[in-house]
Amino acid sequence: VSLLDTIKRANRPGPPEHSTGLRIACAGAVVTGIVACRAEGELSWSVAAISTVLVTVGMYVSFRTRSRPIGWFKPLLALAAVAAFVWFFRQLTGQELYDVSTVEDPLALLFVWIQVAHAFDVPARRDLAFSLAGSASLMAVAAAQAVSLGFGLYALAWIAFGLWGLVCMWGSASEGGRIRARGLVATVVSVSVLGAAVLTVLPAPHVAGRIDFPANAAGGVGLPGAGGLTGDAGKASEPAKAGSPAGATRVGGFLGFATHLDTALRGSLGNTVVMRVRAQRPSYWIGETFNIWDGQSWKVPVKTKTTVLYSGSPFPIPTNVDTPVVNDPPAGQSDLQTFYMAQSSPNLIFHADDAADVWFPARNIYLSGNDTIVSPIALGPGAIYTVRSDTVTPSPVELRADGGSPLSPSETNALASDLKLPHPYPRVKALAEKITAGKTTTYAKIEALIAWIGSHTHYSTDIPPLPPGADTVDEFLFGNRTGFCEQISTAMAVMLRSIGVPAREAVGYVPGSYNPLTDLYEVQGKDAHAWVQVWFDHYGWQSFDPTAVVPLANPSPGATLIHDIAGALRRLPLIPLAVVLGLAALTALVLTWRRRRPATWAIAVSRRMERAGARAGRRRRPGETISEYASALDDVSGDASGTWKALAWVIEESAYGDHEASAEDRRRADHLSRTLRPGRHRRRTGTGGRGGGGGGGAGGGGGGGSVAAPSSALVGAAVSPAAVPVPRRDSPAAPADDGSPSTDGDG
Amino acid sequence: VSGSPRRRPDRRRPTRSRGIVRPVRALVPIGSAVLVVLGWGVVAHNSGAGWVQTLGDVVAGTLLLGLIGPAVVLTRTRLRVTAVPTDATARLPSDIAVVSSSRVRVTPVHPPGPDRFVGPAGGARPAAGDPVTLLPDRRGVLTWITVDVASAAPFGLLWWKRRLRLELPSELHVGPKLGPPVVLPRQEDDRTGDSLHRSPRDIGEPRGVRPYRPGDSRRGVHWPATAHSGELMVREMEGPTAEPVVVVVTLPVDDDAAEVVAERAFGTLVALFDRGTAVILTTTEVAGPCTGAVSDRRSAGRRLARAVAAGRDSGPPDPPRRTRSREVAAPAAFEPADGVLVTTGERPGMRTP
Repeated sequence: VSLLDTIKRANRPGPPEHSTGLRIACAGAVVTGIVACRAEGELSWSVAAISTVLVTVGMYVSFRTRSRPIGWFKPLLALAAVAAFVWFFRQLTGQELYDVSTVEDPLALLFVWIQVAHAFDVPARRDLAFSLAGSASLMAVAAAQAVSLGFGLYALAWIAFGLWGLVCMWGSASEGGRIRARGLVATVVSVSVLGAAVLTVLPAPHVAGRIDFPANAAGGVGLPGAGGLTGDAGKASEPAKAGSPAGATRVGGFLGFATHLDTALRGSLGNTVVMRVRAQRPSYWIGETFNIWDGQSWKVPVKTKTTVLYSGSPFPIPTNVDTPVVNDPPAGQSDLQTFYMAQSSPNLIFHADDAADVWFPARNIYLSGNDTIVSPIALGPGAIYTVRSDTVTPSPVELRADGGSPLSPSETNALASDLKLPHPYPRVKALAEKITAGKTTTYAKIEALIAWIGSHTHYSTDIPPLPPGADTVDEFLFGNRTGFCEQISTAMAVMLRSIGVPAREAVGYVPGSYNPLTDLYEVQGKDAHAWVQVWFDHYGWQSFDPTAVVPLANPSPGATLIHDIAGALRRLPLIPLAVVLGLAALTALVLTWRRRRPATWAIAVSRRMERAGARAGRRRRPGETISEYASALDDVSGDASGTWKALAWVIEESAYGDHEASAEDRRRADHLSRTLRPGRHRRRTGTGGRGGGGGGGAGGGGGGGSVAAPSSALVGAAVSPAAVPVPRRDSPAAPADDGSPSTDGDG
Repeated sequence: VSGSPRRRPDRRRPTRSRGIVRPVRALVPIGSAVLVVLGWGVVAHNSGAGWVQTLGDVVAGTLLLGLIGPAVVLTRTRLRVTAVPTDATARLPSDIAVVSSSRVRVTPVHPPGPDRFVGPAGGARPAAGDPVTLLPDRRGVLTWITVDVASAAPFGLLWWKRRLRLELPSELHVGPKLGPPVVLPRQEDDRTGDSLHRSPRDIGEPRGVRPYRPGDSRRGVHWPATAHSGELMVREMEGPTAEPVVVVVTLPVDDDAAEVVAERAFGTLVALFDRGTAVILTTTEVAGPCTGAVSDRRSAGRRLARAVAAGRDSGPPDPPRRTRSREVAAPAAFEPADGVLVTTGERPGMRTP
């Protein structure tokens, strides 16, 4: 009975929710989740459209029946939910399960139908909160498949609906409380800052453990010619051709993904994103290697041996038969990479060094004699494949310990094409020997050559065309010593070969820019690159990039964000910005000054008076008239002659009486207000008295006879009967016994 | 008068946890939030998708703000009592007006009362404040109240609350509830059956004015005083037989017993007022014994609100503090059951209250 009561209590309907804003926000969040799932291919158009309509209708029905829910609805919806679960588990039957990623499609459908059923029974706030939380699961399913920044639009829309819903929830819970615009801005900013802070702190979510790696052909058609290269000219099914000066610019602009790499040509590398890579660490994505050098172009052997791999995903990549056996190879580090093609691409299967397994959506793949992995189907936008590499990354110490001994006959035979030069290159050989003089190990020689290239050559993509018949390496090393990655890497490979070290040319892409939002490396056309691979006895082919000797750092989302922000700040036009900010500050200063400046002369003088009083420690109190304040200042300063009082009287006459002070009065009052200081009054007045002692005038100087000169001068002018009308009843008439003026005429 | 916790605490009446912001029933919301974030992290880890992590970060930030935001809101919220009635009755509701800088739920603790939401609603802030109902459980003079202020802004995920002391702009006199009167001496005409038809005294020498009571003649209305006070006032006549009745109220130390005695005293006073009798009330206040005339319910209620037990050196009883049950010890000279003594004649040591 207790359990039954508990269940009843849990299912007791809450008070009806009347907030339409909350209802709209929840419906919007759910629909956004459905649309996002559709955009990522988790749902079909029909399912997305039907569920969107049903969710909207359900929310409307729930709103209309919120006070009196339809009794038979709940059991019916419960049955629908049970049916959805049954369908889901039947979908999973017979499917090998690894984790949540293997059931995403049916899971998305299950979530959608649960949301649809739930939308018909959301009378209370608690039910709407469940809807909002359920939309989060839909967004999570969609986000798991999202690889482009376009998903950000759905994310923003969902976040906006979610925040709106939560704010409405508080408004409903607090019986009408609403967040004002300032609070809303603060809320959005706080969520953004906290979210960014969490993103900065958390490490990137790298794939771990055993999972079903994604592979998708995206409608790629089979290609003719076993192992032939295609797809470098904008069409995935077109055979690859060597670049030519008159040829069309290819996808991504790189001309090297073909049977020839002409170092005399350079494509127009653009910013087009050619693919995105999710990887555990950044690497150079190798597409193809060349080992035949003819003085201008790298080529693959015409009669290369191609191995067909039939095993199906995952395809284990065997050690190439053309490569000598590595003596006692160390265990490599597993490195998973998933490639999402964004453009029509050559049918090369890119990978990090030492590919071991490939998950590819085809029955077979090809492995050429150069360790180049070739796809049998065209790779267009949307194609996905995954590679696991057992990357051997020996340390410099280990590499220094390896090599130095002459190649064995079998190695020399197997690596003959990687040592072969089209002509002797006497100057190149002499230069290489000079640079590597005294270096005994292969790694030491490589280091010396890279250092020399780094200090004696210049990187530029704008180089003069190669003269007809000229050799690229000769021209680069003994000409202007300027070139880009192909010239630089070719020069190093040729120098290594000239001193007996096996080397070959590799082309592919550098890792690209890391996007902390998608956790993907976005590889653009301009990331196409060429580098050198050198043979080591114990480690096989090892990549060296003489173009960029700086080692790559493993990025973290936070570091990348901070780096991007710092870069954006560095790129700011500082001088124009400083000018604009300076002008804005100046304008604000002028406006502030104009706003604060006193409107009338009387106000200006009274403010000076208040400032002087404040300096003396006697601030003007609220409600205190200027005359009262002046009396207080006279008391503070011990001025029996009432100088401040006289000044206040002139101010009040100017401010409230229909009498504008004369220019002379103003000048004197200004002078007084600037020079008088409470506490130093006697000294000041004494000085002033000598300057204006004759100012007693017609009306002033009566009574006490101890009048200091400045005040009497001012007073005498101010109270002249000819100039001053009879003051109003509330005008301060100075007492006659203190030497100040009196309108009674006793002066 | 601000309810800011920065005010120096009142050592005389310490309130536990005053000003400290505390979460209310935090286990479920925080546990749910942690589960959501952990679940999201598992999905992000397994799918390896950056967008899952990015959305998860936003969700985590939202949850974090929803969980700790109310504490910030409460810390910044300022409450002020803008209007309070001068008189109230114990165990009867009385509304005060409270202005808040943000929308919060206010629950009166001392004196108790039902919770109400106050603060800006619909983007507007009421100028006069929102009503908060007090249900004082016993009489006394209130200069401040203690309230629990709670908020779950901006998302309503977790409630936080804090206890604040709000100063009242004016004293609130909480009079006792009307209790059964003590047995009064019969009047001469009680036996005639005319007591119900006895009209208020309208002859004699005018003594002053007093508030109108049902049964007063309309001819006795003193219009200038009515216009001046805004309340219907009538002339009070002092007849030759206006011998005042002296009511001596002695409250026991026990707060509950004192409340009962005060209620009986109030009932007695009202019964005397209904008879048209002039009454002199003798009570003990903080400053000492106090004897003075009371002419109506309001003045009697205020006197009884201020009354304390004889020998008590503090103010009126503190309503929220539960008193220990003690036997009522009344002086032998008074009726032990109710502590209310009704006599006639002048009382020595009369002092204007």
